[in-house]
Amino acid sequence: MVSNLRLIKQFGLIAVYLFLIVMALIWLLPVIMMLLVSFMPPDQRAPEFGGLMLKGISLANYLAVFQDAPVPRYFINSLIITIPSVFFVIALSVLAAYGFSRLKFFIKEFWYYLLLLTLMLPIPTLIIPIFQINRTLHFYNTYLGLILPYTALGIPFAIIILRSFFDGFPKDLEDAARLDGCSALGVLWRVMLPVSWPSLTVVIIWQFMTSWNEFILALVTMEDNAIKPLTLVPLIYSGQFMARPGAMFAILTIITIPIMVVYLFMQRYFVSGMTAGALKG
Amino acid sequence: MTSISMINPGQSQRTLAIGKAIRKNLSFFFVVPALVLFLVFVLYPIIYIFRASLYEWNGLSAGTFIRLNNYIQLITSDRGFHLALRNSFYWTFLTIFPQMFLGFILAYILNSRIIGKNIFRMIFYMPAIISPIVIGIVWERIYNPFGGLLADVGRVTGLAFLQQSYVSDPKLAIFSCIAVNVWQWTGFSMLLYLAGLQGLSEEVLDAAAVDGANLLQKIRHVVWPMLRHVHLTLILLGVIGTLQTFALIFVLTKGGPNHASEMLPTYIFQNAFQLSQMGYASAISVVLLLLALILSLFQVVVLGARFSLHE
Repeated sequence: MVSNLRLIKQFGLIAVYLFLIVMALIWLLPVIMMLLVSFMPPDQRAPEFGGLMLKGISLANYLAVFQDAPVPRYFINSLIITIPSVFFVIALSVLAAYGFSRLKFFIKEFWYYLLLLTLMLPIPTLIIPIFQINRTLHFYNTYLGLILPYTALGIPFAIIILRSFFDGFPKDLEDAARLDGCSALGVLWRVMLPVSWPSLTVVIIWQFMTSWNEFILALVTMEDNAIKPLTLVPLIYSGQFMARPGAMFAILTIITIPIMVVYLFMQRYFVSGMTAGALKG
Repeated sequence: MTSISMINPGQSQRTLAIGKAIRKNLSFFFVVPALVLFLVFVLYPIIYIFRASLYEWNGLSAGTFIRLNNYIQLITSDRGFHLALRNSFYWTFLTIFPQMFLGFILAYILNSRIIGKNIFRMIFYMPAIISPIVIGIVWERIYNPFGGLLADVGRVTGLAFLQQSYVSDPKLAIFSCIAVNVWQWTGFSMLLYLAGLQGLSEEVLDAAAVDGANLLQKIRHVVWPMLRHVHLTLILLGVIGTLQTFALIFVLTKGGPNHASEMLPTYIFQNAFQLSQMGYASAISVVLLLLALILSLFQVVVLGARFSLHE
């Protein structure tokens, strides 16, 4: 790669690496700190250097957390909220994106741009009405009270991604299937979906991440601790573990591990997912 | 076979026409489920806050219609609201551009054959996948004047300026939050720039090299302008991200001290759910909504910004 050679010549490889390593250290430090404080021995009252200096390593915090906090329960709550929202977003967006891309109906483009308005809305503007709607529909303090808004808010971005993929899909294949007697749904299901995996992966990862980490709607929707998702867990225990940063940081670590594992295994998809469609840009 | 021969041609044509009309109508049903959710959870809420903003209302009892009084109070005498607007302005410029600049540098370096480039990419993007609550609590510990990382480093090295009350000093609070935001989202900018760089053709880069342009000139006059669509996407997403900043502030400062790090979302939450002023909070929501719509529509319609590189 020519640009690479020139880069090396002009700046010097060492300077580039030095810059990268310093930046990487700054980026890693808070994460390392989170881990270290979670292993802080109970007799050390406060962490020094934010937790980079420990008097020893102890698992006491984790034992305390697993005794006091039903962490697996919260983990399952997060899954109960996230997985249906991903499923509904995929199902409804695939249908809608296909409709927008291939079918004809009344003022189609108007409906499309109306949906895209969602992407310009800051979610906090919706917390008062969604709180009231959930109460009216008896979804307040239930899983559905989050699943449905997360689905509604996730659909427009998914439609953009899927529509642009469907738009680029060769018409010939589709026409051939239609001649063989396939319905519009049949074409979508048998011809287009099987090759849509790159776009579907982007949507799945994106929707999973946003639902999993969403905070403000969860804060105003979930009242019972028993059904709260992981993002709200630090708040539940902030009082109880106020004087015990070690236990609090053990909770933070436990919350972060699942998403980190998914990230490490799916990293290829994260990166290529974010970059896949850009080649045409 | 006999049944088919019994249908007369005119009738079958009419049947076809009706079938076609039905199919044409049926197409709309592909988008109906998505539109229904949109109507219930997006469009109706927008109408709802406009209406609620005209009432003095605690969320439980019936409200009192007070015309535009909520807005008048916001504009004329609400210090928290004014500070939230000022902070949104700071946040927009001090997060978006540093994130773009750093993200671009990292992407440019990591687009070459650097050893360990995948590990570096992973490290820089990592904060973007961690819950903002977790990030807030960890940074609170870094900023803590008693035993926090920065304070202790300052104490040992004698660099007194590091020993600050990062989140409880009204002059510093908002900037301390902004710094965390830059840390969290620079990797996202990097990833989008990597995508953009990979979309550039080798020939473009080579042509500039043949012309004898040096590296900085090449970046400035060739690479940077060709990534215009990435810049626009990052600015668009950055503005919307700024306007919905909540979790980080909620954990680090709660908008304090004395509104010094207030943002519009934290102020909405505080008024609606802690002070039970749902009507007043709706008025703030309307302001936030209009701000977001005007700024985004301007970027999308006039500048041609897109929400995704996939679009």
